[in-house]
Amino acid sequence: MDFLNPVINGFSVVLEPMNLLYCLIGVVIGMLIGVLPGLGPAATIAILLPLTYGVEPVTAIIMLAGIFYGAQYGGTITSVLLRLPGEASSVVTVFDGYQMARQGKAGTALGLAAIGSFIGGTAAIIGLTFLAPLVAGFALDFGPPEYSALAMLGILLVATISGGSKAKALIAASVGLLLATVGRDIFTGESRFTFGSIQLADGIDFVPIAMGIFGLGEILYNLEERHRAAKAPSKVSNVWPSKGELKHASGAIGRGSVLGFFLGILPGGGATIASMASYAMEKKRAKQPERFGKGAPEGVAGPETANNAAATSSFIPLLTLGIPANATMALMFGALLIQGVTPGPQLVEQEPELFWGVVNSMYIGNILLLIMSLPLVGIFVRILRVRAAILAPITALITLLGAYTINNSMFDVTLVVVFGVVGYLMKKFGFEPGPLVLAFVLGELLESSLRRSLLVFDGDPTGFFTRPISATLLAVFVLVAVMPGIRSLIAKRKRTTAASALAGDGTNNGANNIKEKV
Amino acid sequence: MKHFPTRRAILGTASAFTLLALTACGGNVGGGAAAGNSSKFPSGPVTLTVGQAAGGSTDLIARALAEGATKTLGSPMPVVNKPGANGALATKEVAGKTADGQELVLLTASLITITPLAVSADEAVNIDDLDIIAGLSQDDYVLVASQQSGFKSFKDVTSAGRNVTFGTTGVGTGSQLAQTVLFKQASVKGTDVPFDSGKPALTAVLGNQVELATIQLGEAMAQIEAGKVSPLLVFSEERNSFLPDVPSAKEAGYDVPVAQYRAVAAPKGTPQEVKDKLLASFQDTFKTDAYKEFNKKNLLTPKELSGEEVVTEWKGYAEKYKELVEKYDISLGGNK
Repeated sequence: MDFLNPVINGFSVVLEPMNLLYCLIGVVIGMLIGVLPGLGPAATIAILLPLTYGVEPVTAIIMLAGIFYGAQYGGTITSVLLRLPGEASSVVTVFDGYQMARQGKAGTALGLAAIGSFIGGTAAIIGLTFLAPLVAGFALDFGPPEYSALAMLGILLVATISGGSKAKALIAASVGLLLATVGRDIFTGESRFTFGSIQLADGIDFVPIAMGIFGLGEILYNLEERHRAAKAPSKVSNVWPSKGELKHASGAIGRGSVLGFFLGILPGGGATIASMASYAMEKKRAKQPERFGKGAPEGVAGPETANNAAATSSFIPLLTLGIPANATMALMFGALLIQGVTPGPQLVEQEPELFWGVVNSMYIGNILLLIMSLPLVGIFVRILRVRAAILAPITALITLLGAYTINNSMFDVTLVVVFGVVGYLMKKFGFEPGPLVLAFVLGELLESSLRRSLLVFDGDPTGFFTRPISATLLAVFVLVAVMPGIRSLIAKRKRTTAASALAGDGTNNGANNIKEKV
Repeated sequence: MKHFPTRRAILGTASAFTLLALTACGGNVGGGAAAGNSSKFPSGPVTLTVGQAAGGSTDLIARALAEGATKTLGSPMPVVNKPGANGALATKEVAGKTADGQELVLLTASLITITPLAVSADEAVNIDDLDIIAGLSQDDYVLVASQQSGFKSFKDVTSAGRNVTFGTTGVGTGSQLAQTVLFKQASVKGTDVPFDSGKPALTAVLGNQVELATIQLGEAMAQIEAGKVSPLLVFSEERNSFLPDVPSAKEAGYDVPVAQYRAVAAPKGTPQEVKDKLLASFQDTFKTDAYKEFNKKNLLTPKELSGEEVVTEWKGYAEKYKELVEKYDISLGGNK
């Protein structure tokens, strides 16, 4: 009962009219930007970050969280109807979702996706409910050495898991680490890279970086893309899937929930990777893999379930350890800091209302989203007709105004503009902004924790291995670091044996490739 | 135009956000309307700038004071947070504004007395660049020990005869100064582990990652009352009334009087009648039950001095700290 009390109290927090309202606002905004191609949840949260300043922390995070998981629902709609993924995490939904729409089963595809999303999301909240207090039980054992190990592991995973070019991810991460060193050295008081500017004495604030790179950069980049004239989307009818269809997809939904949950927890993981992994898994498990790409319902249900489960479970490392698992969580981290709340193992105990309020708001949010995605889907499709020429200046204005309000500082506005240009150029030249921002956050944590630990250990690095949690984390670190090498070694040996047996098995290789990508 | 309603709805929402953002920073815009004529003071809202983030103890003090002074001065007193460089950013900015009393800053003593020991000269703030209006209160530092350390009094520390680890709230803070000087005076070997602020330092003591830490009383009180950390010393010259059983460092025989003091300041050259008017309105605020209750709730000891007294006292502390640091050859920062 002791465990359940704060959980139930959390519900009373959610059910306050103000919080319910913000939850609704959050999921509606999430749906909207999910539908609109281009502006993603990270950008939206970055832009709206300063607006949450005036409300209670729990209310602010409820809304921002709503935007994040709401976007996972919304992104599906355009993938299915227009073959235009609204979100990166809905890219794989295009393959089968659009084919289903062409076969006149758009309603079924959307229905399956919505139901899958709901189940995936809800399963992940339940997981979060039980896992978070477990981690929080170790709260006081988390000192500087543990944080150093965790930050190292986080940076490694961000670099190895994230999609796209590894070299570019590494470059972006290095820039992030470099930016993290700006400001007064907190151990010696020495100024680093401040160029004599007192504005930079405390280092660069995370929020202007995020608002610039994700918010303004994204807006600038989208302006360049000539907006496609929105085609009349196919008619959506009969969104409720039949019993048979549901039964057919239930396996994919179940697997997607579990897969998404675990990929969401991993630093560097998240909704996009979860959806891709789920698609690959469904295709691999299918008895007739050739159906995929031609309108297989599992190809919609699996990834859509997984991306929602991952979106929810990625809150776990943030709320329990204070480690953001992906770029959007880094923004949540910023939002909490603005509110004067430091996310970490103490959060569950010190701010139970905030913690459980946010977690439980996700149940409500998912129910709202289910309602919006099934009967109300037609309304959201219409949003596609708003032209970018109208949207872009408004969002840019909100971004700059918002940047000023955080610290009442014009310097911050300048920073947003500078990082906006950086973000734009990064996108243009194919650099993911995620590793930069995550490395920035984790780099600061790594440096201070590492130096603090070494002070405590009196300069003896073996101290890290004398503490159970940090030793375990470092063991995992080594494992993850050497894993790709071992795997490719095994693959090479396999290939040589296969080659010597003169039986080059193409399909098997293909399956291996997918697995490695995951 | 068939879909006009949708578009209008979006524009409406967006402009609502814009409005919201505009009102959020409106307080600052109003403060700019300066009038040279001091007899007409206040000629509009009097802005109180805080160099720390919203929600911290300095910010709370500013808000409690501004709430009272709005009534006693008869003019709104918006609080504007401009965090950066321990408050140096905000203080320097206000020091450069028109000296008409419309722009005030909440000043922390450590910025004047301790920060200059840790940072380069151009980052430091000189008290002579400001007119101090009124002193506010004293916020005491307490030395706490983790349960696992077994330290119940400072004697236990001195007689332990080993190296101890201690957390500070950062480089160039009272927490660092107080502990480094204390340990030198007591000939205790200690390793200084800086944290970003009081909260993480306290957490580190709770988890016994460091054995000792010196933090502001307001932050430590809950854990002291819960018995999870042991209070060893307060660094004020006299015992703190909220912690009557804990000896002061002076009683224990150490000469290290460190506390955080706060005051309200205006740009240099503010007319005397404006300063008098401001002082009177603050003094009226100090007498209100709401403000007294605020001090008590936040474990602040009132120290409501005149501007001149503040300058003398703070300059005295600055001199004292400089001597102590030189005497014991302590380096707070890298570039002294």
